[in-house]
Amino acid sequence: MLAGWVLSLVVAAAPAPTSTASGALHEGRPRVRATLVSDVTQVEPGGTFRLGVQLQMARGWYVYWKNPGEAGLASEVVWDVPRVAVGPLTWPAPEVHRSPDGSITSYGYGGEVVLFASARAQPDVQPPLTVVATAEVLVCEVQCIPARLELTRVLGVGPRQADAAGSAALDASTARVPRAPAAAGLRVTVRRTTSFVPGQPFEGELTVERTDGSPEPLARADAFVPERLPGILTVQATPDGTGRLRLWGKAAPDSSPAPPRIAGVVALASGGAVEASAPFELPPGLTPHPAAAHPPLPARMPGLPWMLLLAFLGGVLLNAMPCVFPVLALKAYGFARTVHADHGSVRTHALAYTGGILASLLALAGAVLALRAAGHAVGWGFQFQEPVFVAVLCGVVLLFALNLLGVFEVTPPTHGTESLVAAVDHTHGPLRSVAEGVLAVVLATPCSAPLLGTAVGFAFAASAPVVLAVFSAVGLGLAAPFCALVLVPGLRSRLPRPGAWMERGKQLLGFALLGTGVWLVGILGSLAGVDGVVRLLAFLVVVALAAWSWGAWRRGVVLAGGLVLVLATGWGALRFGTAPAPMAGREAWSDEAVARSLAQGRPVLVDFTADWCLSCKFNERTVLASEQVQSALVRTRTQLLVADWTRRDPAIARRLAAHGRAGVPMYLVYSPARPDQPEVLPELLTLDTVVSALERAAPAPGALGLSSPPR
Amino acid sequence: MPLLRSAVLCATLLLAAPALAADVGQPAPAFNLKDEVGASHALDQYRGKIVILEWTNPECPFVQRHYGGKTMQRTLATFDRKKVVWLAVDSTSHNTPAKSKAWKAEQGFPYPVLQDPSGEAGHAYGAKTTPHMFVIDEKGVLRYAGAIDDDPRGRSTTPTNYVEKAVNALDTGKAVSPTTSDPYGCTVKYGKSS
Repeated sequence: MLAGWVLSLVVAAAPAPTSTASGALHEGRPRVRATLVSDVTQVEPGGTFRLGVQLQMARGWYVYWKNPGEAGLASEVVWDVPRVAVGPLTWPAPEVHRSPDGSITSYGYGGEVVLFASARAQPDVQPPLTVVATAEVLVCEVQCIPARLELTRVLGVGPRQADAAGSAALDASTARVPRAPAAAGLRVTVRRTTSFVPGQPFEGELTVERTDGSPEPLARADAFVPERLPGILTVQATPDGTGRLRLWGKAAPDSSPAPPRIAGVVALASGGAVEASAPFELPPGLTPHPAAAHPPLPARMPGLPWMLLLAFLGGVLLNAMPCVFPVLALKAYGFARTVHADHGSVRTHALAYTGGILASLLALAGAVLALRAAGHAVGWGFQFQEPVFVAVLCGVVLLFALNLLGVFEVTPPTHGTESLVAAVDHTHGPLRSVAEGVLAVVLATPCSAPLLGTAVGFAFAASAPVVLAVFSAVGLGLAAPFCALVLVPGLRSRLPRPGAWMERGKQLLGFALLGTGVWLVGILGSLAGVDGVVRLLAFLVVVALAAWSWGAWRRGVVLAGGLVLVLATGWGALRFGTAPAPMAGREAWSDEAVARSLAQGRPVLVDFTADWCLSCKFNERTVLASEQVQSALVRTRTQLLVADWTRRDPAIARRLAAHGRAGVPMYLVYSPARPDQPEVLPELLTLDTVVSALERAAPAPGALGLSSPPR
Repeated sequence: MPLLRSAVLCATLLLAAPALAADVGQPAPAFNLKDEVGASHALDQYRGKIVILEWTNPECPFVQRHYGGKTMQRTLATFDRKKVVWLAVDSTSHNTPAKSKAWKAEQGFPYPVLQDPSGEAGHAYGAKTTPHMFVIDEKGVLRYAGAIDDDPRGRSTTPTNYVEKAVNALDTGKAVSPTTSDPYGCTVKYGKSS
């Protein structure tokens, strides 16, 4: 009697087995609710069905995916179903959560998710079938609260009877599960592009293509969520064109040297997701090289406003660089001429000049984006790698020079028919200002001025709108000093009045521009050899002849004839082969050469340069070739390697990008003590910076075994 | 409008960029932090001893579980206190010395709780979770980074204590294995600005 009473009391006190439970109490309220769902109410012996745990989180709270990421704990469901084999959990594609400061990334589900599995009943399954699921989840918002949820549900045994609500919930969750690529009509390929060494960084690529080979657009952010990958410490993915992600990360220090698999979820722009799972191997024929010690994007990147400011200041400084200076002088001359004109016309000139600069920079940005989309490695000044471009530019510079020297004038014809040229171009017209703006940009690009390197490097690694914004900021900076001079009234009145001195000054500037021409001929020589130079000079003679005849006779027919002659000569003469790049004395750069010297215990100085890069040449002549630096190189046994970017070279472009640069110059000093952390020297070198960097990189004297004996 | 979009994209890129983290086998990042009573602790001053750093947060259930089971205190008790220094570090942005002091009194552990509300030391080490453990050898080189043990869910009766393994290996001149493990627990509650 008493025993019966106690028994009934216990039964009443024990929680009744339920198919729903809640947990993770925070401030008195549960933050997760779990429900055991099934797609059948009656299980057929020997038949298959689905079981799942539906988790509903309070707003802002989430549970974790099978790889929780950098923190948290994977959700877990343990099944206890007599005489039923339950398969592994199926996981819908996760969302990416980040800590408020962005430093900790984790993967999970907010709102609602069903983690489910397929189940097969044995033929001898007994009614009633009691399904017990134990879900262990960590529920986090700012706080994290572990919850253990026990769910019980009784199913019938007999002919299959569907559970409509359960089926709907399971179908909805199935739709969120990443599909096998083949089922989605896609192909996912993963390849490694660097060596894979325990504890070292690596890089690779993940591409998603349709069956016809066209790239499949991926989600804009967090397009790849990796599973837990044994042997890999971290792996991140950054967008690298349509359907392509650049993978970069670090091998675990105690991983086996054999590269592991890459597995994870790839989110598509269309909203779905596919699985990725492939061995992380180098494609055949590719020699492994070590990955950059730094990720492709600088680890701590300044924000966009800061970058725009840098780009603007860089643009201002470009005005003082040797490659733009002749144009600026030209502009200053034209400006002394127009400055005393009425304010309205001056303003028009300023606007036209700025417009010319902006339009050509945006055209350049467009070309960069187009080439990047086509998969070319491009950088600042890339157009100087094209000989025909250099040749045509040379012709334009020559025309400007001849004009300044008075060989021809472009004033409106005083007689004869109103030609097209007359309509669009007369000496003082705003169009000339536009042209000067364009020329300033074209000549400015090889001078990667201080500050500009960082901003442009940033832009090349960023998305299209950022590229355009940064290039515009450079343009505004380039135009700013001239505009300030024109538009600030106080400054204007200080300029000298025009007079006879201007004619002489103008002619002098003509010679300055011819000097720029000599530099351009030099570039072409390095691209196309002596033969190319001869072809270019012949072309320039014809250009000069046409300009002279226009100046002498000033007839439309002469102009037309001159144009035809120039075009015909250009077509015939400007066909350049390539000359082998001379590389005398110093050793050529390669990752292998760096590794070789470091292995011998020697520091390495890498000079990333190009023949068309004036800043590089300036640094080489004044600093690198100096006696102090040369003797420091000998003293520290430093190997000098030259990475010549005069012509396109993807390996060099990659290395520049690895340090956040898009152009030369760049100087790296490797120390054998820190082989994966080269020091990046400033773009404008001084004797001191180079010598002290070399001394820092050199191993302690004793370690070399050839320095002075211990005292 | 495109500018706004770029700003958003840029922010995404920034977030995707990894925090710098300490590497096993490399010199451990230097720090100089005050503890809950205001005494300074710099990594340099412990040269010659094995230093164990424990990122902690008394509000975190994982930390609470380990302190409830006295995991940290018991681990420390197995070491020679003349050779080993244990430092707890709290990078929680809203933590205060008073809270650490109260918690230390309540739990009765002997080691200091270094105050890192700016998260500077936490970011330098790449501390992600509480607890997240780092073992530094006598020369100041980081030798182990990861979880305290192999039992995230607190189920095992005989978990493998990775910190104990690492310290014992260092003490006997053997190679540490494993040198890393996936840390588990709550995220470190860094402030927004750090």
